[in-house]
Amino acid sequence: MWAGRVLHAALSGASRGRRAQSALAQLHGILEEELESIRRAGTWKSERVITSSQGPHIHVDGAPGGIINFCANNYLGLSSHPEVIQAGLQTLKEFGAGLSSVRFICGTQSIHKDLEAKIARFHQREDAILYPSCFDANTGLFEALLTSEDAVLSDELNHASIIDGIRLCKAHKYRYRHLDMADLEAKLQEAQKHRLRLVATDGAFSMDGDIAPLQEICRLASQYGALVFVDESHATGFLGATGRGTDELLGVMDQVTIINSTLGKALGGASVCHLLLSAVPPRPWTCSWRAMPSSSLWRPRPCAPQPRIEPTPPALEVWSINHWTPRFRSQMEAAGFTISGANHPICPVMLGDARLALNIADDMLKRGIFVIGFSYPVVPKDKARIRVQISAVHSEEDIDRCVEAFVEVGRLHGALP
Amino acid sequence: MWAGRVLHAALSGASRGRRAQSALAQLHGILEEELESIRRAGTWKSERVITSSQGPHIHVDGAPGGIINFCANNYLGLSSHPEVIQAGLQTLKEFGAGLSSVRFICGTQSIHKDLEAKIARFHQREDAILYPSCFDANTGLFEALLTSEDAVLSDELNHASIIDGIRLCKAHKYRYRHLDMADLEAKLQEAQKHRLRLVATDGAFSMDGDIAPLQEICRLASQYGALVFVDESHATGFLGATGRGTDELLGVMDQVTIINSTLGKALGGASGGYTTGPGALVSLLRQQARPYLFSNSLPPASVGCASKALDLLMESNAIVQSMAAKTLRFRSQMEAAGFTISGANHPICPVMLGDARLALNIADDMLKRGIFVIGFSYPVVPKDKARIRVQISAVHSEEDIDRCVEAFVEVGRLHGALP
Repeated sequence: MWAGRVLHAALSGASRGRRAQSALAQLHGILEEELESIRRAGTWKSERVITSSQGPHIHVDGAPGGIINFCANNYLGLSSHPEVIQAGLQTLKEFGAGLSSVRFICGTQSIHKDLEAKIARFHQREDAILYPSCFDANTGLFEALLTSEDAVLSDELNHASIIDGIRLCKAHKYRYRHLDMADLEAKLQEAQKHRLRLVATDGAFSMDGDIAPLQEICRLASQYGALVFVDESHATGFLGATGRGTDELLGVMDQVTIINSTLGKALGGASVCHLLLSAVPPRPWTCSWRAMPSSSLWRPRPCAPQPRIEPTPPALEVWSINHWTPRFRSQMEAAGFTISGANHPICPVMLGDARLALNIADDMLKRGIFVIGFSYPVVPKDKARIRVQISAVHSEEDIDRCVEAFVEVGRLHGALP
Repeated sequence: MWAGRVLHAALSGASRGRRAQSALAQLHGILEEELESIRRAGTWKSERVITSSQGPHIHVDGAPGGIINFCANNYLGLSSHPEVIQAGLQTLKEFGAGLSSVRFICGTQSIHKDLEAKIARFHQREDAILYPSCFDANTGLFEALLTSEDAVLSDELNHASIIDGIRLCKAHKYRYRHLDMADLEAKLQEAQKHRLRLVATDGAFSMDGDIAPLQEICRLASQYGALVFVDESHATGFLGATGRGTDELLGVMDQVTIINSTLGKALGGASGGYTTGPGALVSLLRQQARPYLFSNSLPPASVGCASKALDLLMESNAIVQSMAAKTLRFRSQMEAAGFTISGANHPICPVMLGDARLALNIADDMLKRGIFVIGFSYPVVPKDKARIRVQISAVHSEEDIDRCVEAFVEVGRLHGALP
């Protein structure tokens, strides 16, 4: 009996050990296969390591000399602006390294309240709420606001975070073809049977460089009793006469109800996002699941945008972008490249094949130009591109060097006739 | 005809205007009602405004003098540690304010790679990947790793971010009763028909102060061919002999496959989260995890602060050692006074009160006595299970703890929460 029990225990132990080993081995097998298929598809993303601060000119591990960076969201050049950094240093000394708390417990300092008020003022809205990122603001909004009685109508090319936010909510989900107003209208008509209707769109689309036709969207929303939400991450700070965004650019500031945007792009590049509510009573965030559990914001960032947001608009920077962008676009198109979008510093050079985009980007780096190829799942399959982003702190010479390199490398790889 | 068209346009315009107005008015109506119902239920969350840096002693707008803070996740007191702040300052000067980029584009600096290597070393795992927060690490993991062929088995009281992460994935979803190993075993048996099985649990549960029975979980996982994932946010830095977490505490470091944790609690309190585990998993997350691909890279100063916090911890675990005695001091005095404290042996000490308004009122009166605590109610905890969650920090003094207990006893009697 005893021997039997020992044997049984040994066998069970052995088979448990084997099953434990096999679960891990199975995981490894699955992972290796998945990683291999990504490599085979040519969509592998390698991270280049930057050894300097962010800016138009950077240093990259393994690449000699200074490199011109053409793929940051550093539209106004504020990511290394001395005044922004100084404000960060000051706030870090005065308010400490971190809050170790979500906002509603003990994670609200006076600087958070001040920044929210400032953001609301900047966008001419009633109130604002900070999140750790705009990704979080987007995933937090829809579930908190909408119920199964409501409907959300979303552009098919909206940012991944909006898609995830909509997936997490219980509203009826409608998707309209990219910028297709006839399709939006049809969906709005279908959605009349619901309680609230919310149209959700990027202001500027991050992979295509095109801008949502907000005038038409607002007109349709008004006609069909819907509210409008815009993600302004690629607009805040530099679109519109005073950099207020696409709603200012298109004259619909009083018609867009909700704005989400980021402090992690034009406004200093650190992190954090804000949500702006037009004509909404205070503190609806108490319903927001997403705003609660994550730790409160690291302190220096709330001060970061200060030098640029008030009192005067960033005229020089806005001018610079609006001047360099057409220069780049027109030169590239004259050379034979296809650039998606229009009038936005996001200039996607359309190449189609993922490997081609990858190879061109690698050769561009050898010529001192930092760009990268974008492929699936960031953009649809067979629509790979190199997304060039023009910054206010690029020089004319930077732009011309970039175009030259593209032409040379493009010819080398047969991307140009 | 023309007049007809004008009239039609005018009416359409008017009715469009009315519908526009009515959509906004409708929204207002709905929001006001929702806000009012939150107030009526007594679950309204007001934010107190802190006017100092974070630490055991703070200043609060509207409350005179110094206030003792008993509700931060600042377990090791590193949120205002001078060396942590200095490291943040240094990194900010050297590496700038921000990256304005996701990691894979131009958002990876050498300091990110160094920090990831340090985290992996700290946890004795192969690799690590940084996210803007542990919330993002949790929402990114499951969808990237699991398919509809797989299964995830999740403790019912897991953190909200794990719940959201699981909702976003396509695996078959099983939920087991809190810490109930018999229920977990039954679900594991049911889940044998799937390809991969992943058991997901908090290491330490944030609202209850209890710790997952990892030895038993790992034993069951091993028996039923499952992998184990643990969220260590309320453990990293201070549980286990050297603060490695619950896996170290319970001797299962080689049996837990995936760990998510945060840089926003014990490790300096700034921001950032991570996944650490097998190299191939981390590689896959870099290629496919949505919050990693589509959200901004961690700012340099956050990286600097966290890196220094880990250095301090790896140099010496003297800070960690002091916590257990302080936790015991608080728990035993409170229980002796008649309070019910949930959990065991964790610096999270939830004082169970039941009614949301009671928790709110007691917390308000505690602040008047110079103690910062807050009431937790629905939806953060289940209805009728409201509590005041006290969190002991290594940098609280014995006097701080005694004052806290005294205030609780006084206020508790005032509100009839004690006999």
